[in-house]
Amino acid sequence: MSGSEGATDGQVVRAVLAGDSERYAELVTRYRDRYARYAARMLGSADEAEDAVQDAFVRAYDQLAQCRDPDKFVGWFFLILRNRCFAERRRSKDVAPLEAAGAVAAPERPEVPVETAERRRALQHALLELTPEQREVFVLKHVEGLSYGEIAERLGTSVPSLKMRMHRAYDRLREQLRDRA
Amino acid sequence: MTDFHPQVRQLLDGDINLADLPPELRAEGEEALRLLAAVDREPVTLPGTLGARVLAELRRRAEAPGFWRRLRLRPWTLVPAFAAGAALALLLSTPAPTRAPAAVTVRFVLFAPEAQQVALAGTFNQWDPAATPLVRTGAPGVWTATLTLPAGQHQYAFVVDGARWVADPAAPAVDDGFGRRNSVLSL
Amino acid sequence: MKAFCVTLLLAIAGTALGAQQDVSARLAGRVPPEIAALVHQLALGAAARGLPIDPLIQKAIEGSAKGVPADRVAAALRALTAQLDVAAAAIQQAGSNRPDTEAIAAGAFALNAGISAKQVTALALVSRPPYSTAATLRVASTLAAMGVPGEQTVDLVTQIIASGGPATDVLGLPGQVMVGVSQGQGRGVTPAQAAAGLARAAAARANAPGQNKPKPQHP
Repeated sequence: MSGSEGATDGQVVRAVLAGDSERYAELVTRYRDRYARYAARMLGSADEAEDAVQDAFVRAYDQLAQCRDPDKFVGWFFLILRNRCFAERRRSKDVAPLEAAGAVAAPERPEVPVETAERRRALQHALLELTPEQREVFVLKHVEGLSYGEIAERLGTSVPSLKMRMHRAYDRLREQLRDRA
Repeated sequence: MTDFHPQVRQLLDGDINLADLPPELRAEGEEALRLLAAVDREPVTLPGTLGARVLAELRRRAEAPGFWRRLRLRPWTLVPAFAAGAALALLLSTPAPTRAPAAVTVRFVLFAPEAQQVALAGTFNQWDPAATPLVRTGAPGVWTATLTLPAGQHQYAFVVDGARWVADPAAPAVDDGFGRRNSVLSL
Repeated sequence: MKAFCVTLLLAIAGTALGAQQDVSARLAGRVPPEIAALVHQLALGAAARGLPIDPLIQKAIEGSAKGVPADRVAAALRALTAQLDVAAAAIQQAGSNRPDTEAIAAGAFALNAGISAKQVTALALVSRPPYSTAATLRVASTLAAMGVPGEQTVDLVTQIIASGGPATDVLGLPGQVMVGVSQGQGRGVTPAQAAAGLARAAAARANAPGQNKPKPQHP
């Protein structure tokens, strides 16, 4: 079956599993930006996000036969990306702060005042000092704008435990930002 | 002690406003709001070439001798025949010419001259004895079936005459949890 | 931003709902109702603990297809769940906070094949990219099922990985052990002995003077 106008995720996944591997690119195009911001804030830069998203798509392809519900590809893909984001921070825990500075120093948009750019960089640095779980709850609420209830449902935890995690994150962020001031 | 006051944390959570804070917490509240203002919420767009790069990476891994390449396993030795039930599994491995997630063609063979019917049941066909009957070949007593299976580890057994579950004597076997043995096939 | 949140929420909620419906769909008509109910119950707990549920579904279908009485199937399912938990803990011991479900399933299978929990941990420890934990454990299970004792299986796999060849070297181990057995049949070579011979050969290659160890391939 040729032509992919309006094909559902499930149809594309099934086509790929049946041997039409080139069609996988449609899924990549569809969803490459969906979690890009989440990955960027979790890892510290858009460059790292790009690597993580690319790796996650490659991994998802390898495991495609195990995607239980092809029509829910994007949710399953998110979990693969999430694992990659968590694993990546574990690996690079020993990166010196100076190197992290390099990663976060992405070219700024000209309309963003220097002061704002500086504060954003400082906060991103501070975020990277949190545990992945703390960083994630902060990113999901304050970057992606989800409510505690929505986050709890997604991560399979309770709102009270999320709040505890978040409040610890607030305190640590404050500590980090003060040390740098 | 740099912990935020609990009420300021509520402010950060969005449960209360700055105006709701008592005067002595006002400064801390403003500090907290400055922290939130520093959050970068700009959408991130990844290059349009990502799709092509993912495909290129998949192609590269399919072609380079590497982890995802299917192995050409040697045919297993024919174990000196026991009574009916000696079996042999030949692996006909085809390195996938396309780059689809790998699949391997496998031929299952059972030597069972006394049987009236033989079937193959395993993890790849929901253990349904009706799904994959073997057929008699020219050689007397030899039954075969050929399947294309996805990469991975599979368990299976032969079902003789609809009732007798027989593991493959020449294949590695594991406990099935029910007091019998399953044969293991790794692709 | 709201549109993103809603879509994301639906996608994730859909995954959870879809998973449960998927369990029902796969069990429908293949297992008696009380087994289906038990699978659902065990699957809920398993999923919450990050364990794969596919092995449970497979085992339930297998037992019913084999005509095994329901109480025996139930016992096997509970035993399998315990194996999944032990496998997950054993792999976590090797330093992975969130072992992937494929590795856990392979670990449970390894336990079933006679590999000990400690040996599962040892295998997970040596499995750095490009050697995946799941594949290493599957190979170990096959070797154990062939009659190679657990300790020797760990030795052999460790030795092959240490010599730095491509991951296909690990995947090819069961076949190589079979060849060793068949070639030594006249002398009564057991799988254990064949495995030991392979391990010695790999160690000798790795330690040969002037040997340039091939670099492991990066995925």
